[in-house]
Amino acid sequence: MAIIERPVPATSVGPALPTVTPSSSLGVFRRPVAATGWRSWVFTVDHKRLGIMYGVAATFFFVVGGIEALLIRLQLAGPDGTVLSADVYNQMFTMHATSMVFLFAMPMAAAFGNYFLPLQVGARDVAFPRINAFGFWSFLFGAMFVNAGWFLGGAADGGWFMYAPNSGVAYSPSHGIDFWAIGLQITGIASLSGAINLIVTVLNMRTRGMSLMRMPVFTWMILVVQFLLLFAIPVITVALFLLTFQRVFGATFFSVEAGADPLLWQHLFWIFGHPEVYILVLPSFGIVSEVLPVFSKKPLFGYPFVVFSGAAIGFVGWGVWAHHMFASGIGPISVAVFSMSTMAIAVPTGIKIVNWTLTMWGGKLRFTTAMLFAMGLVVEFTIGGLSGVTHSVAPSDTQQTDTYYIVAHFHYVLFGGAVLGFFAGFYYWWPKVFGKCLGERLGKWNFWVMIVGLNLTFGPMHIVGLQGQPRRMYVHTESRAGEGFFNITFWNFAASVGAFIIAISVLLFLINIWHTHRTAPPAPLDPWDARTLEWMTTNPPKAHNFDSVPTVHALDEFFHRKYEDVGEGDEHDLRRVATAEELLAEQEANADHHIHLPSPSYWPVVLAFALPIVGFGVIYNHLIAVVGASIVVLAMFGWALEPSVALDTDYDPPAPDDGPGTELATVGGGRP
Amino acid sequence: MVREMSAGPSRRRLAGALTALGGVTLLAACAEDAPQDTWQPAGENAQRIQDLQWWVFAIAGAVGLIVFATIAWVSVRYRDRGQPIPRQTHGRPALEIGLTVLPALILVGVAIPTIGTLMDLSRTSDTECVVNVTGQQWWWEVDYPPQEGCGGFSEPIVTSGQMVIPTGTKVLVRGTSRDVIHSWWIPRLNGKRDMVPGRVQTVRLQADRPGIYAGQCTEFCGLSHANMRMEVVALDPADFETWKANQLADYTAPMEGSLAAAGEQVFISQCATCHQVDGLVNADGVPIIAQPQERVFAGAAPNLTNLTTRNTFAGATWDLLTPTCRDDVWNASPEEFGAAYLAGVSADCLNEVDLREWLRNAPAKKPMYADPEQLGPTDGLNRGMPYLALSEAQIDQIIAYLLERQ
Repeated sequence: MAIIERPVPATSVGPALPTVTPSSSLGVFRRPVAATGWRSWVFTVDHKRLGIMYGVAATFFFVVGGIEALLIRLQLAGPDGTVLSADVYNQMFTMHATSMVFLFAMPMAAAFGNYFLPLQVGARDVAFPRINAFGFWSFLFGAMFVNAGWFLGGAADGGWFMYAPNSGVAYSPSHGIDFWAIGLQITGIASLSGAINLIVTVLNMRTRGMSLMRMPVFTWMILVVQFLLLFAIPVITVALFLLTFQRVFGATFFSVEAGADPLLWQHLFWIFGHPEVYILVLPSFGIVSEVLPVFSKKPLFGYPFVVFSGAAIGFVGWGVWAHHMFASGIGPISVAVFSMSTMAIAVPTGIKIVNWTLTMWGGKLRFTTAMLFAMGLVVEFTIGGLSGVTHSVAPSDTQQTDTYYIVAHFHYVLFGGAVLGFFAGFYYWWPKVFGKCLGERLGKWNFWVMIVGLNLTFGPMHIVGLQGQPRRMYVHTESRAGEGFFNITFWNFAASVGAFIIAISVLLFLINIWHTHRTAPPAPLDPWDARTLEWMTTNPPKAHNFDSVPTVHALDEFFHRKYEDVGEGDEHDLRRVATAEELLAEQEANADHHIHLPSPSYWPVVLAFALPIVGFGVIYNHLIAVVGASIVVLAMFGWALEPSVALDTDYDPPAPDDGPGTELATVGGGRP
Repeated sequence: MVREMSAGPSRRRLAGALTALGGVTLLAACAEDAPQDTWQPAGENAQRIQDLQWWVFAIAGAVGLIVFATIAWVSVRYRDRGQPIPRQTHGRPALEIGLTVLPALILVGVAIPTIGTLMDLSRTSDTECVVNVTGQQWWWEVDYPPQEGCGGFSEPIVTSGQMVIPTGTKVLVRGTSRDVIHSWWIPRLNGKRDMVPGRVQTVRLQADRPGIYAGQCTEFCGLSHANMRMEVVALDPADFETWKANQLADYTAPMEGSLAAAGEQVFISQCATCHQVDGLVNADGVPIIAQPQERVFAGAAPNLTNLTTRNTFAGATWDLLTPTCRDDVWNASPEEFGAAYLAGVSADCLNEVDLREWLRNAPAKKPMYADPEQLGPTDGLNRGMPYLALSEAQIDQIIAYLLERQ
């Protein structure tokens, strides 16, 4: 929580706490201590506000990536499309993938993780709140930097996999790939700092009684993802660093004429790229592992199996990268090994599907929108998983790879997996974050339209792929379309129609948000009869999350505080013994007396803002890089010298001795 | 195509039952006339893949249906009808372990034949004929090195876009690239293989019947990736010998004073810098050797010695034949195919529309970084054919000349 205790009043009991005498924050500026207004968002270090900001930014890039997808589908709606030129099309599919993977799915997972992970483990913030803020801002500035190419001579056009040597200057003369490579290094800093932050939070800041095997599965999956990020991001950073040097400084890491082997890039990229797939889907696996039990009124079936299969996916995920390279010519022995390891990873994935299904089995199912999206994930992800098994069979994959069959596969995995999971999370946690339930009626329209759109878009891609249509082609032609029921022209048109249906469903979601916030009444404290700790506080939670941090006695602690089994012997008879309101009132009555929260700070946003300046400098003029680097150094000093809690003199008028300078949180009743 | 499989009766019955289960993806096999259909093998290698994948698809389809049926049943059976809150059970380890071992066993069953097929498909010891391919933005060069195989080659043949092979012969394609990574893929004959600069990669091909087998570059290779295609033309061995003899025949100069003779001069001044025509000599009788490396970044341009024996151009993207004549060749029966293909492109069958557009302004028809500003990193060298500002009269002459390159 990064609480630095300031000298406490003599009335406090217990051992003397170590004291830190804060120095000034470069002594120039007052701390941005406002609790409202735009400053309270830009300079915040609150994990919940940062979570919301991650969510808003990710939603923005979801829309951007969606528009890119719609333009792609417009171009491919008929043969010999003329909506986009070849050049713009190549930029479009490169940036569609980049937006969706790096600028939507990863930050959206960060949004959920940031917001709910501390709540679920009963912490008052993450371990390093200012680093958390720095992570968000470097993600946002990095994302803007990646997209700057659109306005400065063309975006990246080498595909998100950016294979060498096609990513070289000779083959992509615009600065698009430079912006892409440097921008993703900046967002990588965000992922890496976020990963360290959440790992430390989980390992060090769980509340009393919350052993690892009592942690909610969502927190478990986020933890696994952070470890994946911790090891995967450095690999892609190395690759991007080499690429930047290759392009900007004329290095020859991937130059065949200098004796390099272009397959080096492929290995580096996919050693990152395959764990990345699990980075994208595991958060959603975590979300549905929360949603399904709540709406089935049963604990998750086989909790340890789900946890360990998630961890197993995390481990085995490192040993399957070359299945992206079955056609690259890595030799039959390598292909055989990676073929088998890829089949092996289907086992833990299958365990999850089985456990989710058995969670519902024997339950008491309420088909809320959140539940529908979670069940949608189980079904659609299964399709993607099974098509995945068909190309773990390497000889079969040499027919399928780089065709639309693969596009179909990973959209079922990522849209059917990650995106549907996020939507389940939106509907499930919206009342927790914003205090209002999203409309169920519009929500169900949202769900069904999305399911229709998703299957109409990506289902036909199985067909056109098996009919031999390669990916990444800016046109398809009648002469290779075939005739009859499975002709490529018709199914491409169908996929394009489907894409617009998905767009309608996303629009319905946005309308639902707008409508909810205009008309919906405040949500009840515990609208879903939930099971985990984040529901043991107000909607939305107070700045310090819990008035008194709950002690955990069991998995699904909140549920077990509400219900007791009064059955005798083998009989079971669950009776409600407490309401959420009663539990909250009890907690507020026992509120901790002193709750210290870190104060907002300028330095994370300043430091993050300097990074793209360095990037511009690397591309255009090294003097600009020197300016950016100077700001980096300045911000690091400012940050280092700044106390975690604002001084009383930072307030205007200065805070009283016992004021927010020592205690930012508004607490419930006092301890006697 | 499950029906076509040379399988035993019990396997076929099983296949019939599972076809229904496989759903749409499996049914995709039954479409007709899709030239790159991955489920219509026309040779041993693709057939091996097919024998392996159909039942993987069937198993996957069956597993999927079981999962969906279970979820559907659960959602009806256990929907909230006011039943009491269920027992808070945390799972049954025995069931869990069973449901872990079962898919693992299924996957072991898939893995064993996978490895077998993989090893068979990578074998090169039984090669009967070697053909080299070289990828370049955005076309394939095909060359036949001198060898005993394929009826024997005393001297090399260089062509592009279409690879001609004899039927029933185990051909080993050895491939590389001159610039970025490309991928060689003829779906009906085998899976794809990336052709990587600095490496030589191999892939086996074998066609059972005469015909044209379409393919396409499948590794994203830049601006005109969509316009980089290739075809394998299988001829029976006798026709293949005819084709070979024709490719190696001496150069026939156009008749003096003819339109084609004027075209020869235009070709020498405008085209021969990059495009080789074997046997072409200048006014002094000195052979003209193309120097494409002076104009083209990757260093090569298609050899046009026998252009009109092929029936596509510009990366096999456009037909040299009119649609009618093209269909006559593509749809010819296996017996008649050889003669139809060897007839080449006649004046009546020439697809002048596309060829003229190409000669007028190639980069307008096929994106190839025509903007000189984009050529800075390549020191002004072109990537693909530049705009040549030919007059209509010159285009007439060049077409007349090329028509004689049979």
